[in-house]
Amino acid sequence: MKEKHIIFGAEKVLKDNIREAFKAFPHIKRMTIYQTCASALIGDDIEAVAQEIMDEMPEVDIFVCNSPGFAGPSQSGGHHKINIAWVNKKVGQVEPKITSDYVINYVGEYNIQGDQEVMTDYFKRMGIQVLSTFTGNGSYDDLRAMHRADLNVLECARSAEYICNELRKRYGIPRMDIDGFGFEPLASSLRKIGLFFGIEDRANAIIEAEIKRWQPELDWYKERLQGKRVCLWPGGSKLWHWAHVIHEEMGLEVVSVYTKFGHQGDMEKGISRCEVGALAIDDPNELEGVEAMYKLKPDLIITGKRPGEVAKKIRVPYLNAHAYHNGPYKGFEGWVRFARDIYNAVYSPIHQLAFLDISKDEIRTDQSFVTRKMLSDSQLSPDIVNSTVMREYTGEFDSLKHLRDATYPQFPLQGKLAAM
Amino acid sequence: MKQAITDGVEALMDYIMKNCLWQFNSRAWDRVEQNKNILEKATQIMCKEEVAKETPMERCYWAEAQTMVEEFLKKFPWLQTMDAGDIKEMMAGLKERLDYQTITGSLNQELKDPNY
Repeated sequence: MKEKHIIFGAEKVLKDNIREAFKAFPHIKRMTIYQTCASALIGDDIEAVAQEIMDEMPEVDIFVCNSPGFAGPSQSGGHHKINIAWVNKKVGQVEPKITSDYVINYVGEYNIQGDQEVMTDYFKRMGIQVLSTFTGNGSYDDLRAMHRADLNVLECARSAEYICNELRKRYGIPRMDIDGFGFEPLASSLRKIGLFFGIEDRANAIIEAEIKRWQPELDWYKERLQGKRVCLWPGGSKLWHWAHVIHEEMGLEVVSVYTKFGHQGDMEKGISRCEVGALAIDDPNELEGVEAMYKLKPDLIITGKRPGEVAKKIRVPYLNAHAYHNGPYKGFEGWVRFARDIYNAVYSPIHQLAFLDISKDEIRTDQSFVTRKMLSDSQLSPDIVNSTVMREYTGEFDSLKHLRDATYPQFPLQGKLAAM
Repeated sequence: MKQAITDGVEALMDYIMKNCLWQFNSRAWDRVEQNKNILEKATQIMCKEEVAKETPMERCYWAEAQTMVEEFLKKFPWLQTMDAGDIKEMMAGLKERLDYQTITGSLNQELKDPNY
């Protein structure tokens, strides 16, 4: 968009661009258009442009979401708008092929480093059809068929509870909030989905096998992370997805929680899941963040890239809560990968060197470099260090590879919920 | 037994606030329904009474309640020693406490938003 378009409008340019895009990718018949600040300010009627294209090219379908940044106090306003726009404009337009007695929409899941693939694997092993994922790894037409699910399984309530609430009101599909992070919360989530469909035995079999495989590795990290102080400063939902379970299952002390775009409800949830004494900060600016780090002296910040870089400058290691470091973090194996990333950050030998000031500190030349294990194991009892049960992470570099050619059990169809 | 019931309410309340998500739906009217239905079904399960689970909504409430009760029984063995009367009294106290914490006493102003 150029200056003349801001003054005289950009509808023609948009229309040409849409045509050009469909011609350049002839096998693609779906498009989403997001109205942002500039186009909203000049008042272009994007809906009308999209409709003209759909009249001209009947085989294509376009979704327009009017979500200029200024329309809400934070990105959360945009989440709300797209949830409502999608359910108003697109849900109910496609009739899906139902292949299972147990059909869910997986909502509020954004497939960060493969999270969605991990969770979908569990569902498929249970014989559950994932009709759509809103929105990570999801597809346009699957999301138009959301009205045919039996259950909405909701992960990030902050960004996607609206569509679940609307589907519950309009189509009577129940909303079930789950936690995909942490052994216990994930086990409990799979079990309750299983119970809903009457297939809890399938959930229990998965939980048993996964815990048997991964518990010794989680325990290895837990022993070494015991009592480490963490500021949990993510965007919205991970505040409450992680606050209690990194304490319970990794031994970490959450000394502070904050959220940038979370609502009052997210603070309510986050605070209720912390231990007594954690400092909760609502939407802090940089100075408040720095002040909190100086005061609380955390061993680690789990946050976004921007505040994370600030933390590094004052020599506090950080883990990327949004895009992850070596994810996926969901699932049983993913939780161990998260523990490994935390361990690597807390005990980084390079990070220890950052505390030395070469302008005044003595730099010892008679010592070799240390390793993480030398740092972490120096305070542990020999029983733990030499344990033959606990072990470091032994998974693949790419933990998703085996999922992509996985085959799943075929369960005979037995009729819908009424037959239970 | 009075003290045991009071202590029981606090223990179960702590468990719910730390581990469950169903009590945090975004609007007050929604929380009223969630608290009422899930705690009612949890009480019925704990008292070994029949639980309605025919409609999808009922099944959802029941699945939440059943999962929670299974965890209660693992974590709080003293529940096994309580009779149905004591359980009902304790669960009524729990509902009162939870309604206050998440609805009537909550400082969350979005609970009163007329829209979702």
